Amino acid sequence: MKLLEVPNNQMFKIDELQFIKRDDFYTSVYELIQNGSRMIALTPIDKNAPQKIIAALANSQSSTIQIIGGVFDNDKLELQSWANEFPQTNYFECELSENYGYVPIDHPWLRPVRKQNVILNNTPYQFFKLEGEEVHEVAVGPIHAGVIEPGHFRFQCHGELVYNLEINLGYQHRNVENLILNARPQQRIILSESIAGDTTIGHVFAHCNTIEALSQTQLSLRAEVIRTIAAEIERVAMHLAGLSGISNDIGFALPSSSYGRLRTLAINSLAVICGSRFGRGLFVYGGVRFDLNDEVLDVVKSNLLTIQSDVQKINDYLFASVGALSRFEETGIINTDLAKNIGLVGLAARASGNEEDTRIHFPYGAYRYNPISTITLSTGDVYARARLRALEIDEALKFIFDQIENLPHGEIKSDVGKISAHSGIVSIVEGWRGEIVHIGFTDENANMLNYKIKDPSFNNWYGLSLALRETGISDFPLCNKSFDLSYSGHDL
Amino acid sequence: MNDALKIRILQGDPIVHDVRTAEFPSRYRGLPFIADKECLSGCNKCVEVCPTNAIKQNPISIDLGLCVFCPSCEETCPEGIIHFTQDYHTAIDIRENLLITKETKSVKSDEASEIIRKYFGKSLKLRQISAGGCNGCELELNALSNVNFDMGRYGIEFVASPRHADGVVITGPITHNMAKATEIAYEAVPNPKVVILFGTCAISGGIFQNSKELERQFLEEHKIDLFIPGCPPHPLTFINGLLDWLNK
Repeated sequence: MKLLEVPNNQMFKIDELQFIKRDDFYTSVYELIQNGSRMIALTPIDKNAPQKIIAALANSQSSTIQIIGGVFDNDKLELQSWANEFPQTNYFECELSENYGYVPIDHPWLRPVRKQNVILNNTPYQFFKLEGEEVHEVAVGPIHAGVIEPGHFRFQCHGELVYNLEINLGYQHRNVENLILNARPQQRIILSESIAGDTTIGHVFAHCNTIEALSQTQLSLRAEVIRTIAAEIERVAMHLAGLSGISNDIGFALPSSSYGRLRTLAINSLAVICGSRFGRGLFVYGGVRFDLNDEVLDVVKSNLLTIQSDVQKINDYLFASVGALSRFEETGIINTDLAKNIGLVGLAARASGNEEDTRIHFPYGAYRYNPISTITLSTGDVYARARLRALEIDEALKFIFDQIENLPHGEIKSDVGKISAHSGIVSIVEGWRGEIVHIGFTDENANMLNYKIKDPSFNNWYGLSLALRETGISDFPLCNKSFDLSYSGHDL
Repeated sequence: MNDALKIRILQGDPIVHDVRTAEFPSRYRGLPFIADKECLSGCNKCVEVCPTNAIKQNPISIDLGLCVFCPSCEETCPEGIIHFTQDYHTAIDIRENLLITKETKSVKSDEASEIIRKYFGKSLKLRQISAGGCNGCELELNALSNVNFDMGRYGIEFVASPRHADGVVITGPITHNMAKATEIAYEAVPNPKVVILFGTCAISGGIFQNSKELERQFLEEHKIDLFIPGCPPHPLTFINGLLDWLNK
């Protein structure tokens, strides 16, 4: 098999890739997925020359990223679909088709990803429709009832029960990937901070890893540790926001407002570190902009200690409530096999019993020297996704305190080298939702040929869709919040 | 019941009592201050490094409607001319007044018209529209209802339906795919109504200003009442802007 295997964040030369024909490409990717690899990208090397593509797969057992190149006829961009056997590839194929005009042969259900009013096979796209007695359709969005991003949800219901939920996104599409291609360095950082504002640090982390790997820049240990501390504070903050939202969706005001108060402490800690409550401005190529001095550390530690002690009590209160448990348990179930089949990542995968954590399997930054333990639950319901948040907050706080105690000395910013020509890079980072992937390719003048971004929401929206099947439509807000997916991260 | 009380007592008193003069961390970047100094001859480093082209030279000015408050200009300037202060009172009612020069010491919006103050002075209900926002601005708007900021104490709240609203708060650069929905939501709000732009993306497109996926026609067709600059703006910037504007 002609594949290239690289660890996370390791640059490779485009010449190391072999580009194989359609049938070989199909079988090679097929075998890799069959052997337990997971698709993380399906994209051309060069945005303007789509006939050469790569399929990138992550293999958690061997901690390697497997890359297979495929070459197709320019006037006949057809590839054989894997989606019937491996539903996890479905959305990647849809995306490749929408962006570059590829036709996936035998694809079960070609859907629009980000474009509105798309024409597929010469007809305007129609939502999946259920017919029969007492069947009805509910359409929600793009604008929803709360202060939340836009997306369209189409439910096919029979009475209270949802038979199918189709999620139609793309309203937030700002063309981030193309803007990054032609942007100046400082613009690229701001753009990656704005891919998903709730995962500012996750995405800018992946972006900086990408550029630093391409330019062979070595970071100081201190900078690496400060980055991971910030990433874990973001995780704590957003998990608290998630728990607050979940409590709110079952009308449980006290935990909701208490978690919300603690989240303020977490994001205010980021503001003490870097001036922005979301960690904007902290990351620069080659390190971080702001150091952790004693004054900053005192505030951060005191805030996080309050969270650590209060959150236990609020967790005990929430998860001991019979009313709350009756709403959480056995609601919106994704079982272990289904989660694996559809390629769920991150928090949602771990709640369904799949031990997917890129901090463990594809370690980067300070996680290489200071491993964090990963937690999995098995029930795959709203309870598991809520409970896992509580457990991960605890774990993240322990990790942060440990890092602060052993903060290495040294500079916080290293010199950045020149970006290598004719090279490629795959960078994986575990955001608070899950696996973030940034992929870059450069031409012979070291200009960007293609920059591909995958937010964990890209994988997990389909999970929400399936979690709703045979579930009461009134449980939709609760299920939705338990996944808490990003619209802008998906829409780019 | 006992447990509930314990949790409630744990909550303490987390509210920001004085929203006018809250203390901000020293690294917070609010209203920029431009020193009355000459640039080094031929130096245009701040202009070059600014990711959103917010800075003009001769004399130096910063357009807060474009600024994303990354401190690139501050750290690049060899003369220390630009400095971000902790002043979070940056909301304003006239777009042109977002241009910060060396004369600017503070910004404050004028009072709204009498009819606006009469109708909405005691109660203002807003419908938020995310039109390409990255969820940063949305999270800060959500935070306005939490126990720390509690905007409801001033009679200002977010509502679910535009029919129940007195105005809209727009976040994001207004994408092509959201342009129509934005217009429809605005139309559904009964008159008189206000339009507030929250965040740099909404005001100018910000870092996305050159994206071909934007459709910002809406802003040319409707009067904008209040601009809240920031990336994202701090919740207190929003509260103070509204309090000034409604003269509360």
